[in-house]
Amino acid sequence: MGRHVHSRARQAAGAASAADDVSLSRRGFLKAATIAGVTVWIAPLGSPAHAALFEDRNLTAPDWRASGAFTRYRIDGRAKVTGAKVFARDIRAVDMPGWPPRQSHAMFLRATRADRPYQGFDLGLLGPDLQPDRVVTAEDLARDGVAFPAFYGDDMLLPAGKVPAYLGHAVAMLIFHDFARYRYARDRLQFDPDVVRYGKPAAVPDREPWGIFRYVRIGGATPYDDDAYSSLKDSPLFPTEKKTPVWPRISAEDSVDSRGMRAAGQIARELDSPPDHWLVLERRYRTQSVDTAALEPDNANCWYDPRDQALHMVLATQSPQEVAGEAARMVAASRFPLRRLFIHPCYTVGYGSKDHCNVPYYGLAAALYGEGRPVRFAVDRYEHFQTALKRHSFDMRYRIAVDKRSGLFQSFRGDLVGNAGGRANFSPSVAMVAATAAQSVYYFPKNDFIATAAATRAVDAGSARGYGTLQSMAATEMMVDEIAALLGLDPIELRLRNVLKSGMKNTQGAIPAGAVRADEVMARARRHPLWIARAKKKAEFDAAHPDRSYGVGFGCVQKDFGTGGEAAFVRIELGPDGRLVLHHTGVEIGTGTSTSQAVMCAGWFGRPADEVRTAVIDWPELPMVGEADTYTILQEEQDRLAADPMWTPVHASPSSASNSVYFFGHATRETARVVFEHGLWPAAMDIWSRGIGGGQAASYVVRREDARWVEGRLTANGMQPLPLDALAARAHEKGYVTAAVGHTFNRWQWAQADFAVGGQTVRRPLDGLAVRHGKGPGYDIIRRANVFYPPAQRNNAGVTYYSANAALVELAVHLSSGKVELLSHHSIMECGNQVVPQLVSGQLQGGVAMGIGHALHEYLPLYEDGPGNGTWNFNRYHLPRASDVAVWNQSGEILPPLSETDPPKGIAEVVMIPVVAAIVNGIAHAIGHRFTELPVTADKIQEVLGA
Amino acid sequence: MTIPTRPLSLTINGKAVGPIDVPDGLMMVDFLHEYLNLTGSRFGCGIGVCHACTVILDGPDGSEEIRSCITGAHFFAGKSIRTVEGLASRQGGVIAITPVQQSYLDHYSFQCGYCTPGFVVGATVLLERLACAPIPRSRVESVVSEAMERHICRCTGYVRYYEAVKDTILSTPGLTVEG
Repeated sequence: MGRHVHSRARQAAGAASAADDVSLSRRGFLKAATIAGVTVWIAPLGSPAHAALFEDRNLTAPDWRASGAFTRYRIDGRAKVTGAKVFARDIRAVDMPGWPPRQSHAMFLRATRADRPYQGFDLGLLGPDLQPDRVVTAEDLARDGVAFPAFYGDDMLLPAGKVPAYLGHAVAMLIFHDFARYRYARDRLQFDPDVVRYGKPAAVPDREPWGIFRYVRIGGATPYDDDAYSSLKDSPLFPTEKKTPVWPRISAEDSVDSRGMRAAGQIARELDSPPDHWLVLERRYRTQSVDTAALEPDNANCWYDPRDQALHMVLATQSPQEVAGEAARMVAASRFPLRRLFIHPCYTVGYGSKDHCNVPYYGLAAALYGEGRPVRFAVDRYEHFQTALKRHSFDMRYRIAVDKRSGLFQSFRGDLVGNAGGRANFSPSVAMVAATAAQSVYYFPKNDFIATAAATRAVDAGSARGYGTLQSMAATEMMVDEIAALLGLDPIELRLRNVLKSGMKNTQGAIPAGAVRADEVMARARRHPLWIARAKKKAEFDAAHPDRSYGVGFGCVQKDFGTGGEAAFVRIELGPDGRLVLHHTGVEIGTGTSTSQAVMCAGWFGRPADEVRTAVIDWPELPMVGEADTYTILQEEQDRLAADPMWTPVHASPSSASNSVYFFGHATRETARVVFEHGLWPAAMDIWSRGIGGGQAASYVVRREDARWVEGRLTANGMQPLPLDALAARAHEKGYVTAAVGHTFNRWQWAQADFAVGGQTVRRPLDGLAVRHGKGPGYDIIRRANVFYPPAQRNNAGVTYYSANAALVELAVHLSSGKVELLSHHSIMECGNQVVPQLVSGQLQGGVAMGIGHALHEYLPLYEDGPGNGTWNFNRYHLPRASDVAVWNQSGEILPPLSETDPPKGIAEVVMIPVVAAIVNGIAHAIGHRFTELPVTADKIQEVLGA
Repeated sequence: MTIPTRPLSLTINGKAVGPIDVPDGLMMVDFLHEYLNLTGSRFGCGIGVCHACTVILDGPDGSEEIRSCITGAHFFAGKSIRTVEGLASRQGGVIAITPVQQSYLDHYSFQCGYCTPGFVVGATVLLERLACAPIPRSRVESVVSEAMERHICRCTGYVRYYEAVKDTILSTPGLTVEG
């Protein structure tokens, strides 16, 4: 299964309003769907709608050279390098036209104990001059019907008398109408332990886990034969009781659950009583709680205008579509009247911490109680540590069996428990994905993984970069290294013997998409001088540096990209002068997606898009509808709903899951293809056929598949090269297709349908399409026919899209201090065709740095001593600095694509994973000790060296 | 306790600012953000660790980088500072960015861009220092490391920032000498 939640947030598709008229207001907002009776209007910062509000030049056209599909610098570069306002955090009320200029500010009181009931608070220490202008408690919310969307759980503000669900649980909101009082009050209140009052300690019952899943597989005679049992072919297993898991009984009848449990029983028996030629290794790996530490702390700036019954939200979010829908519903369910909702998504950064996070809803609540004033909710770094979504701490017990004679893995049993904290968020899904990734790059004939998302009083953990796979795969890579040592095999040799090859199945029984190239990545690593010379270099280095011990470590993983429920909208518009404008659903979170998507247009237009709008949520030209839970929908239900040609399971995905280049890119390229095939190509043929006897085209065979863009001009089979502006002008003149809106859906396979445009029916990997002919006006929805949606069963595939990445690390352990000095590192990655190589290399450099932090430096206690108590900041939480990452001594290589037609593959998460294991394995080479708990700090190394 | 304020006057990006009544204990970053709406100097940690908030203090001995999140606004009374917003020059509608800024663009040095103003300020101060006291070319990498180590970036792993600063130093006349 991919990423999802059990209490599903509904998509912002507004089923009932598909037929609503679409209009541009005088201010240039586009009216989106009506949700729960509220009209939602979207104006991303930097959009024309927003520019209509004020002078806005944040996005610049890509500056690129005609000699290649290449941009000189990022499309958002100038704004960012000049300190322009691009983040929600930069925005104040005075920046928003139509808003009252005076900015109010909100802060929250939070419980820092979770072992006793909360009993109110005392603001006495503020004195008379620093009191808030408005105090909001759970009582106010209950009276006014203000509550979190279901996904976020209960007790948005904790009622008095209840035990906090987690450390940092909000108990009250304080609103100040001027900054100075807010700032001074916050200073006074912060860190004071007596403001929030508690009752006597109370026994807190254990909570049921947020989710438990089990993946059992017994393969066929070979990796290519049909499986005897697997999640995809049969089913994942779910317990009937969760607190102490009770698995389905094995009954006499041959039910799917029964067969699965029988398979699990067989795997257990073999591991308990293995044959003599098996080595069974059992290890427990533990990883720490981590803060992704986006430098932009969480924030929202919202204004509720009671006279206009309008709510305005300036947001820092990776999931603006989700917020648009849920915000409308949330207010509609309350006593606050709401007719219109204006959403302003901004550039942001989160590494997952701003995907489906509850900050926008707290910001919304602050606005509702702001007495008609804009209220900014912006945490400082202590508060961000206290509340931002964390990376799950994992406790993993692994048992791996290997045939000692061949070095081939035989079986893998894993028990993975992720500490989800006090709210569910994506935790069940993270645990699931951690389990489905534990296999790393290897083929296992049998596996049994139990994944649990444990509910605790820790700070909420969510969708952090890596999504559980960082924890599980890095552990596997450490264990595989140890197995190699026990078998006396070279660690890369052992890996190569077991590497998953194209066509083999993963631990869910699915076949990974396309060629699996982990073997090529590893073969390159094996030839690398760092690896070849490691023994010799260690001897030399250790002799020359008696105070240090040298080591080289290796790790290789493959990480899935996508969620199994990927969807996107794209609009491509070609003006009569050839100006190309691209709108898409992706949010720019630093990855450079705004640039990559623009560059992808070059494949069909000879040059990148001139203008890009990101975080677009409104698609009035193609009003798709749908409210299904794509992960749990039954096949019959999907078949029935799909008969509506405007139905889709998912409206648009958040920007996460390394999804932009492949999934959003697919939508961009396939929509661009429509404009090319039905617009530019006919225009080209029109021009080439002009004149007596059929023009220059008559004597040659001219085929569309032979069309090529060369230096910004289109040619085919020897025809005169034509520039885009000439083609655009002709397409507009003749009423050919000059713009298209496409919608895509992927459940580990693309939805497809037939679309008839201009008399030609083409089967496309889209599930929705609208086109504009010539100057329009408006778009024609092309009714899809013969739609194919990937079967619901495919949800059990776990994952199918992978990119592989390996890291070689050269390090020295300082024997007196225990400090680990990274001398150099080299990464080897395969990711298909790169769209903008500088962005890929930047992701690799940044991901490795984050992995280094995870392996060596970053640590948060889970409970009372942890960030939930509000005292953590960068003085105690060590983010890697340049000197920690071998900044001048690192390199990376990307495997050449198999051909120019390889799609680009998502890599934003895989980049941080193998280095973690490579460091731990390198430390083992250096000092002979294999650590199983992260981070490996100097203290821990000193302990081992001292022993 | 009423919040005591004092009038503050200073020069920011070449323009006279104030007198404005500013609370005694207010940090410079809050003054820039909430009183002047200059939000480019970014708030990252509030305790002087990440350096996303730095501004340039110009004095008779040259320029230096100051953390605005831990320095009171009144410290700057009568002084002259530059923020990231003031480094590019504007003639009419055209913006001419500085060589450091251009280098960060050319090298794809940043990703989310939140820390970028601090890196621009840090590199600008470094280059101004080198203009007065050039260094041997062989020392450029270590000098860049020393000057920029204080700046935290979470997205990039620093490589492209450092390469850009190194490149700018080596290609700007007068900042290095042979050796």
